[in-house]
Amino acid sequence: MADWDELKEALADYTRSCNNNERLRKMQRDWSRVLHFVCSDSDVTFSMHVDRGEILSTPEGREGVPDIVVTTTSETFCDMFWGDLNPVQKYLRGEITVKGSQEDVMRLDAISYVIWPDS
Amino acid sequence: MSTETTLRRSVGTAAATATSAGLAFAAIDYLGVVSILAYAPGATAAFAILVGGLIVVLVSAIFSELNGLYPSAAGIRLYLGRAVGNRTALSVTFTYMTTVILVIAADAFLIGAAVRHVLHEPSALAYVWIVVLLGVALAANLRGVRMASWVQTIVTYTVLVGTSVLSIIAIVHVGGAFRQPFNIFGSGSFSGIQAIAFALFLYAAFEWVTTTAEEARRPQVITRALFIAPVLIWIVSTLFALALAHLVPYGALHHSATPQLLLGTRALGTVGEMWMLALTVLTALNTFNGGFLVASRFMYAAARENNLPRPFAKLNMNAVPWVAVTSLTVVSAIVAALVFATGQWLMLVSVGAAIECAIYAIGSLCVVRLRARVTSDRPFRMVFAKPLASFGVVLFSALFLATAFADPKDSRRFSVVPFLIIAVLGFFATLYVALVVPRLERAAAARNAERRPTRRPPRPGTGPDEPVAGRVDELP
Repeated sequence: MADWDELKEALADYTRSCNNNERLRKMQRDWSRVLHFVCSDSDVTFSMHVDRGEILSTPEGREGVPDIVVTTTSETFCDMFWGDLNPVQKYLRGEITVKGSQEDVMRLDAISYVIWPDS
Repeated sequence: MSTETTLRRSVGTAAATATSAGLAFAAIDYLGVVSILAYAPGATAAFAILVGGLIVVLVSAIFSELNGLYPSAAGIRLYLGRAVGNRTALSVTFTYMTTVILVIAADAFLIGAAVRHVLHEPSALAYVWIVVLLGVALAANLRGVRMASWVQTIVTYTVLVGTSVLSIIAIVHVGGAFRQPFNIFGSGSFSGIQAIAFALFLYAAFEWVTTTAEEARRPQVITRALFIAPVLIWIVSTLFALALAHLVPYGALHHSATPQLLLGTRALGTVGEMWMLALTVLTALNTFNGGFLVASRFMYAAARENNLPRPFAKLNMNAVPWVAVTSLTVVSAIVAALVFATGQWLMLVSVGAAIECAIYAIGSLCVVRLRARVTSDRPFRMVFAKPLASFGVVLFSALFLATAFADPKDSRRFSVVPFLIIAVLGFFATLYVALVVPRLERAAAARNAERRPTRRPPRPGTGPDEPVAGRVDELP
């Protein structure tokens, strides 16, 4: 089980990778969302504020009204944010559950795919 | 952990019902009514539509239970995979997705034919309209244009109310008597069964609303939509069938790809014709918006999962899987061209109806199997699930055979063509899953072996080789 410090480290790397990727920023230019992440194996929750494709912050806890809520284990979140797993495979096996529109679910996966095309 | 959080934008019962009814009520449904009339002439068609609606209650219960177990856009993969295995689930899902292409192609053809008919253009120009329609749909999809949920809701209710009102005007205003009431076996020994199977087609695809389960305000929203939408379709289809039976001789319908325009003209002249043309074009908004979205996102996910070649996951700068969307358009245009060249538009009704019956039989089988395997709580539990779902397997299998061997134009003849088309689609889907998917998976595994090292730093006190959950090299 990953703790908040490990998740924070993964999120910092993910934020850097996203915000520094010009193609992704252009692709997500119309995508402004609030995301909530819920660890199913601990009481850790965290949020992500995205404004026109730029990740502004990733605070601990549930902040704001979410457009998307993602639930899975803390280990899966860590691997996902480090780009070490393919989120779609986990989603199609029911190991990652999402509340939100189909379009947002695809956009979320598209971020991983654009940053790490080999994932 | 609880995930009971209210989303900023979520779907309520009215919008989910509109999505369900909108997915089901496409332009091809007007032709579906003509197929029912071939087997259940006159007002008897209304009886067949009622029986079809009663059977759909069973379908609603089956998909409510399955959706409750797996409330996800990937639900069909999850429940099929757990009930019949991943390979079979993939084959079935690929075959199922071909119905989306059939419906897109059918609607493109029917709208093209309707526009050409109203403009009194040569028949060859219908295909130009088909290409234009598909081209516009392609361009809108590639630019990431989406219909807002409220627009979709208004469009759906406009089509349903507009069709109902014109049908009532046709029935009440013009007067006359119905022909052949309650003559359900009047066209041959099995005509009643086939009429009911074609009636089932009118409701087909209403269950696709389960792909929006992740947007629903509460799990019950999808269940309510699954039970309310068929009632709306029943009312509209019954009124339309009665109006057609009342005003338009079957001989005139037999060779027409635009029965709704014939009804409009007979009821209100040019005004009625334009009225029905406008509604036909509106149905395309739902079909092209919903159909392209469902099928292209399925293809994207399948490519990301290494079940389709990787190019199908390629995204353009609007985050649209452009190879998937373009391929869908091209295949739809080819199918529409085949229909245009052969004039066999009612064959699409037969094939679509048969595939839907097969899916309902498989859905029933999933309920039987998952009742034994999955004991977790679900927001909807069917009463008498095992006997009713077992009955569903038998009933929908019989209805599959009834439509797969039916000639949609002539109740006195059998036709093997719909069955052959489905068999070919199923054969290639199975062959693809058996031969190509393992290769794609091996290629993905080889790529992963050569890929960059794991980025996640090892946890203090653990070795670098310790396995971490869900890595990319972990293939299904």
